[in-house]
Amino acid sequence: MAISAEREGGTVVAKADGRIDGSNASEFQADLQAVIEDSDQALILDFESVSYISSAGLRVLLLTAKTLEGNGAKLALCSLSEPIREVFRISGFDNIIPIHDSQAEATAAISG
Amino acid sequence: MTYKILVVDDEPDLEPLVLQRMRRHIRRGRYEFVFAHNGIEALEELEADPSIDMVVSDINMPRMDGLTLLEQIPNVSPDIRAIIVSAYGDMENIRTAMNRGAFDFVTKPVDFDDLQFTIDRTLEHIEQWREALSTRDKLVALQNELDVASKMQQSILPTVFPSGPTYKIFGTMHPAKDVGGDFFDIVRLADDKVGLAIADVSDKGVPAALFMMSSRTLLKGSAIGTEAPGDVLTEVNNLLNEDETTGMFVTMLYAVYDPATGVFTYASGGHDPPLVVRADGTSELKPLTGGIALGVLGGFEYRQDSFELAPGDTVCLYTDGVTEATNQQGELMGIEGIQELFASAPPTGAEQSCMGMLNRVLEYTGDAPQHDDITCLTLHRD
Repeated sequence: MAISAEREGGTVVAKADGRIDGSNASEFQADLQAVIEDSDQALILDFESVSYISSAGLRVLLLTAKTLEGNGAKLALCSLSEPIREVFRISGFDNIIPIHDSQAEATAAISG
Repeated sequence: MTYKILVVDDEPDLEPLVLQRMRRHIRRGRYEFVFAHNGIEALEELEADPSIDMVVSDINMPRMDGLTLLEQIPNVSPDIRAIIVSAYGDMENIRTAMNRGAFDFVTKPVDFDDLQFTIDRTLEHIEQWREALSTRDKLVALQNELDVASKMQQSILPTVFPSGPTYKIFGTMHPAKDVGGDFFDIVRLADDKVGLAIADVSDKGVPAALFMMSSRTLLKGSAIGTEAPGDVLTEVNNLLNEDETTGMFVTMLYAVYDPATGVFTYASGGHDPPLVVRADGTSELKPLTGGIALGVLGGFEYRQDSFELAPGDTVCLYTDGVTEATNQQGELMGIEGIQELFASAPPTGAEQSCMGMLNRVLEYTGDAPQHDDITCLTLHRD
């Protein structure tokens, strides 16, 4: 699991890859916290290269969403593979975190 | 950090010489020296002062020599390292000293730059040794914590399964090596109905085990007082959300089976859907009910769905330890693996189908590491 981030105005686009599970969830959490700044309005997580996410990974997303919400900022996901999309569907997390097909769609939705 | 060094030598001139030559390091607070004049005094000093980090000792001394001292040190302070000061070229004593556990040696006449370098190297080694010890202690502590969590988890699982004249229930949980958060429960309800719950807490260790305990208690309480599975999840979720917020959550499927009608009513809070297997081995995944994992969002209204079991049907409930079982090639088994199993060997009863699922998962994963608990809960209508 690795994360790389780019900033566009008040929006951070971060890409994660590989497996996100109990063995690296705290690292994932620290990485996400490191890319968010107080002034940010939104974080878009590009999951195109994520092959697996466990409930420990979902928990990090939940905590991140709550942190951002506390700052009045938003979290969105994009470019999920079908199995990952299924994890969000089964867990019901697609009820609380908006999921978009592409980065462009996510950016449009957040700025719109 | 100041290191305390015990210098052992019967030569009275050595003490002022050490203090003088090492004065800069003493002033900076890096070294502190204490002195003893033979092996016996040195052992007494070590016993009296556990803050001593290392020993620098001469070999030839009255009462107890340095080589004997080396043998005795581990009895008093096992983590102390010693440097031996020997006559130049006295390879025999040096070899004996090294064999007896001396960390290093310097030769006489003492070159104080060399001595200081050797002391620093020894202290560095001591630091690494201590770090290794503390890591080991932490691992032991973590292991103890995981043992506690694991016992809590095992203790809440039912060991006797309710059954009726026309149905049987069986459940099993195969724990992951590092303690996951699966549990299941079965509750006898009014009018001979029975409630079945299967759940997976998002985290591991003691906090997750506590969360598991409270989820299970809340579920049990709510199940007895409330009829509709959707309402039960709504209530448990609201109670779990009262305590903000560790980000912990639990996926849970709760169902009520009515043996009088064969109707199975279920609500899923972020949990995998039920799999219904017919007597001929064909199977069907029932739809999700759109619920989110419990503990995530207070006020969420959980919906439910229902279907009727025909005689011979089996409902299989499971956690993601089943669907996300991974083989040595890193491929996920998926629920298809279970569907294939039943297609070739149709279920004949609750226990047989439950253990069949578990064994299929264990076969599939082989020697690959098991990251998650594997839990299966089945209800078979006779």
